[in-house]
Amino acid sequence: MTDVLVRVDDRLVHGQVVVGWGRALGLRHIVLVDDAIRASPWEQDLYRMGVPSAVQIEFASVADAATAFPRWAADAAHTILLLGSVETLARLCAVAPVRRVNLGGIHQQPGRREHLPYVFLTEAEADRLRALDRAGVAISAQDVPTRRAVPIEELLA
Amino acid sequence: MGRPPVSAFVRTGLRLLTVQACWNYERMIGVGLGYASEPLLRALPGGRAGEPYAAAMRRATQYFNAHPYLTGLAAGALARAEHAEVPGEQVERLRDTLLGPLGAVGDRLVWAGTLPAASAVGLALSASAPAGVGVAALLTLYNVPHVALRVWGLRAGWRSGAALARALGTPLLRAALRIIGPLATVCVGLALPAVAGRLAGTLELAAWVAAAAGAAAAWVVGRWLAPSLGVVRLGLLAAVVVWLGTAW
Repeated sequence: MTDVLVRVDDRLVHGQVVVGWGRALGLRHIVLVDDAIRASPWEQDLYRMGVPSAVQIEFASVADAATAFPRWAADAAHTILLLGSVETLARLCAVAPVRRVNLGGIHQQPGRREHLPYVFLTEAEADRLRALDRAGVAISAQDVPTRRAVPIEELLA
Repeated sequence: MGRPPVSAFVRTGLRLLTVQACWNYERMIGVGLGYASEPLLRALPGGRAGEPYAAAMRRATQYFNAHPYLTGLAAGALARAEHAEVPGEQVERLRDTLLGPLGAVGDRLVWAGTLPAASAVGLALSASAPAGVGVAALLTLYNVPHVALRVWGLRAGWRSGAALARALGTPLLRAALRIIGPLATVCVGLALPAVAGRLAGTLELAAWVAAAAGAAAAWVVGRWLAPSLGVVRLGLLAAVVVWLGTAW
């Protein structure tokens, strides 16, 4: 059975996801896991506008994810979970059986170091990813499906 | 709330044409958005010497990315928020939230819709109509919606401010998003036989054999050996093989 794809991308719903991954995966369901957006109707309205009508978008908090994850995993081949940060990823992994993670875009901020042109990490974020890798989560970086997936060992080498 | 003069909107509209000039992975089009927004921020209390202007400019040049043709929506909405004296953290939150949706809507509308549709019509007319008609059709069909989108975006952004979802939810834009993808597919489907028919009349058999072999090889490479090849590189590879076949 396919594991549901969890993507960490601080832009959340954007063109690479909707057009790039949307076509490659035949996306039917996008789940945006973010506590602040879950509580913000105006932000949800904006994200809805970015999604084609054939794709369902759902907004969830990390706490929601603990119970809803099996439902999302049931249609894993056509579902993607979008998270805005490594911190949210670590919290999600603590409550749900995440197995496959795609780092799609973590951009420059003070304190972050460039690992790929589209992945910048602080030392604390890199350590969190190493810990998840040791725990058996398959992590790679790949912004769009036509690019090569860079495994976590190579990314953090 | 102060309102910038019309000339400021004109300047911002023109500057938005260069919004990608300073593109980089660190801030993407953030610097371009700041440069484009600057005329709208001059009318803040205290003018260019005032602290509101300085603080707004610092925020305006931070990391940002969106479809370039829809960046006017962000420039207008963020400038309006600054003029309405919305707290800085909320302006930054609005900016962060606009990142994704403006990219997703623009990519669907332009890169996956208008561009392939206009290109297909241009190609079909180049293959079947007098010289120049195809090029004129491509430039017109692409640039009329493109310029209209830029002008509408800046106006709608300023009018809407933080309520930008309302602007993106206009019936015309919703209808365009619904039909542009299928329309592009239909246009490409109509153009391919017209272009192939035109090529079949001028290419020699050897060139066709070489093109078929090249296309098959490119397909194998693209499908199994190098999934990261991408459509553009695949197209370039096929074009080189066709050219070699023609020369041979």
